[in-house]
Amino acid sequence: MTKSAAAARKHAPIFLVAAFAILPLSEPAQAQKSGGSITVGQELEIAGFDPLKVGVYDTSTFTAAAAIFDTLTTLNEKGEAAPKLAVSWTHSDDYMTWTFKLREGVKFHDGTPFNAQAFKENFDRQKDPANKCRCAFYITNVKEVQAPDDTTVVYKLTDPSVNLPATITIQSQNNVIHSPTAWKTKGDDYNRNPVGTGPYILKSWTAGDRMVLEKNPNYWDKGRPYLDRIVLKPLPDAQSRFASLQSGEADIIWDDEADADNILKAQKDSKLTVHTYKGSGAQVYAFNTKVAPFDDVRVRQALVMAIDRPKMSQAISNGLSRPASNPYGEGSWVKCKDDGALPFDVEKAKALIKDYGKPVEFKMLVTATPRGRMIGQVLQQFWKRAGANMEIEQVDQATIPSRAFTRQFQMTPWRIVDLADPDPQMYANFRSGSPLALAGYSNPELDKLLDHARVTADLGQRTEDYCAISRLINKEAIWFWTFQNTYYALSSAKLKGFPKIYNSVIDVSMTWLE
Amino acid sequence: MLNFVVRRLLAMLPVLLAVSLLTFLIASLLPGDLALVVLGDQATPENVAALRRDMGLDQPLWWRYLSWLGHVLQGDLGRSFRTGQTVLQAVAERIPVSLQLMLMAEFIGLLIGVPVAIACAARAGGAFDRFMTGSAFAILSMPSFLVAILLIYLFAVELHWLPATGYVPFSEEPLDNLRFFVLPALTLALAEWPGIMRVLRSDMIATLQEDYIALAKAKGLKPARILFVHALKPSSLTLVTVTGINIGRLLGGTLIVESIFALPGIGRLLVGAIYTRDLVILQGVVLLVACGFVIVNFIVDMLYAVLDPRIRHGHA
Repeated sequence: MTKSAAAARKHAPIFLVAAFAILPLSEPAQAQKSGGSITVGQELEIAGFDPLKVGVYDTSTFTAAAAIFDTLTTLNEKGEAAPKLAVSWTHSDDYMTWTFKLREGVKFHDGTPFNAQAFKENFDRQKDPANKCRCAFYITNVKEVQAPDDTTVVYKLTDPSVNLPATITIQSQNNVIHSPTAWKTKGDDYNRNPVGTGPYILKSWTAGDRMVLEKNPNYWDKGRPYLDRIVLKPLPDAQSRFASLQSGEADIIWDDEADADNILKAQKDSKLTVHTYKGSGAQVYAFNTKVAPFDDVRVRQALVMAIDRPKMSQAISNGLSRPASNPYGEGSWVKCKDDGALPFDVEKAKALIKDYGKPVEFKMLVTATPRGRMIGQVLQQFWKRAGANMEIEQVDQATIPSRAFTRQFQMTPWRIVDLADPDPQMYANFRSGSPLALAGYSNPELDKLLDHARVTADLGQRTEDYCAISRLINKEAIWFWTFQNTYYALSSAKLKGFPKIYNSVIDVSMTWLE
Repeated sequence: MLNFVVRRLLAMLPVLLAVSLLTFLIASLLPGDLALVVLGDQATPENVAALRRDMGLDQPLWWRYLSWLGHVLQGDLGRSFRTGQTVLQAVAERIPVSLQLMLMAEFIGLLIGVPVAIACAARAGGAFDRFMTGSAFAILSMPSFLVAILLIYLFAVELHWLPATGYVPFSEEPLDNLRFFVLPALTLALAEWPGIMRVLRSDMIATLQEDYIALAKAKGLKPARILFVHALKPSSLTLVTVTGINIGRLLGGTLIVESIFALPGIGRLLVGAIYTRDLVILQGVVLLVACGFVIVNFIVDMLYAVLDPRIRHGHA
């Protein structure tokens, strides 16, 4: 084992990370101020932190997890992997083995030392089939994690991953590291009494009301964090959440495009700052190409060409939504000169449908929410103009995945979320035979490109692969994209040091008050 | 009297049983597979099937109901699969907030409604009466989410007198606690007082036409004494019912008002359970709230008997 790790190190380029080890997060030159307290207005109530209990973290839990826990790696200003609890890493030639060197002398809040064994225990607990953790799905690509010595962690993967350190930066149920002593001694109570190595320690938590986090005086990154206290509050109603920010009861709040009016209002308010992050990925839809009428490429192309994205953006979010022409978005490092997007052209769409010759009638799944219905109705109008009849089928949010997996749909909404690398989602969504390849479309050329992109290290070459993939998918119109992912947080102008909203996580752990 | 209490208590049993059955059916017939909710989007069919077996979801509905009812009767309402909390723990944490909100809202509602009703009844058809009846109708037609947002903008964002959202327990910061409750309680009270006012007003008008009031007037009693002492008590039967129903309703928390003002009460617990499909919490809380409602109505019946002797003697 040590031998293979050593071999991996010999053959692989060693990431130049030592220079970052002193300042793990590059930050704009501003004078950080210590002290003070902020209140974060969140959308949801946090259920807990034990992956075995909650399965997956939601956006509100991410924020708390980013303060209480650490991950092995983090993303720097440029969106590249940078050290956190791991100080350096190497990989094998085939990108199937990744070896991480851990930071020494780090302790969990309860005094338990953080080391490779602790990390492995975290991983094994999630992976253990007996624990039936919902979280296990997201680590199916990791065969095992080994801990050859105290400061070395080795990931053994089932499939190559050229960008693993960047894809494990999100403060999710799988990546944040818990104190093994804490979950063993606290049992069922651990879920609501989390213990990590992070910059903040959970002080108190009143269900439904507030979670109080206090500065960790022994944090390994000396001089940080800056704030003495972070209070997280669930403020479920968008209007009163915004009013709380205006009146000063909250210093920063979660928001999204559905609340466009308040975002626009905040942009005009000098006392407030609108933090926007143009993430990668997009809101997407899949055609089931195995069933009529979508077994015919003309119909698929016609429907895609009938969508007027700028008008749709006006209708659903006051123009805030950014039209998408590929699955990567401006937030991704994949930049295409030509992504092959079909133009908006109603006449062409009509002609294609006429050419098809049969009436185009189908059902589209939409989530049974006001927003889901609105999007469905807008699309319905566009398609009617092109001569196609879409019937909206409203289903529960939880029903969509099961319908999608069993292919009981003609058209379904889906998501490509912001991740540091396109590979995991692109491979799953488009490689023939993948359970997530919802379109049921198979093309050797597409498979070849996907296989090549995931084992190539050169970013230029990978970009070419992914652009070719986009051109192919757009031309065949097996999926289509409406809008790119944009993430929002609104804060008081006094709050400084707020980082990009990577992976949709509102991370306030290294902020300060001016 | 004891006979009356026992009769009423026995009458509650079938109601409670029906409530439990309905609660269970509503939660069970909601779309979405509970096993799928627990295991998540990407669960394999085998895992879902295994969990369905573990949770007893493959059993017939009647069997699941009886088994759930059995547990409920032993005081075990189940445990949330998301938080690991038991239903009773979750409710115990939230109920003080909803209780306080309910009491303050009812108090403010009565504080506005009762004097206005008496003043209106005293001069029925007069200018004040017409004005108040009209305004009550206008206020009643405003939905609570609108009232809440208007109050927040006025008192929190513009005037900075009161906080927009939030909560602290009374035991920690009594004054702040009351400040947090003023706007939500006022929002609810603004919807409560027109109802209170209207029933009391019409009952008062009817009472004031009774012979004994004419006699009191003829005896030369002061109008205030007639209104408050002789007319109010016999006129308040419907008011007690309305207040009872309001209390029962508010006991379950108010989904909208608690959400807008971010009060961690029963209503928020329910909304959260619905969003996250936490059916165990959902059916447990609905059952407890429904029981609370039945019990409050039982107490109202008892109050009736105190207020009107005819009822406890079975003549009514």
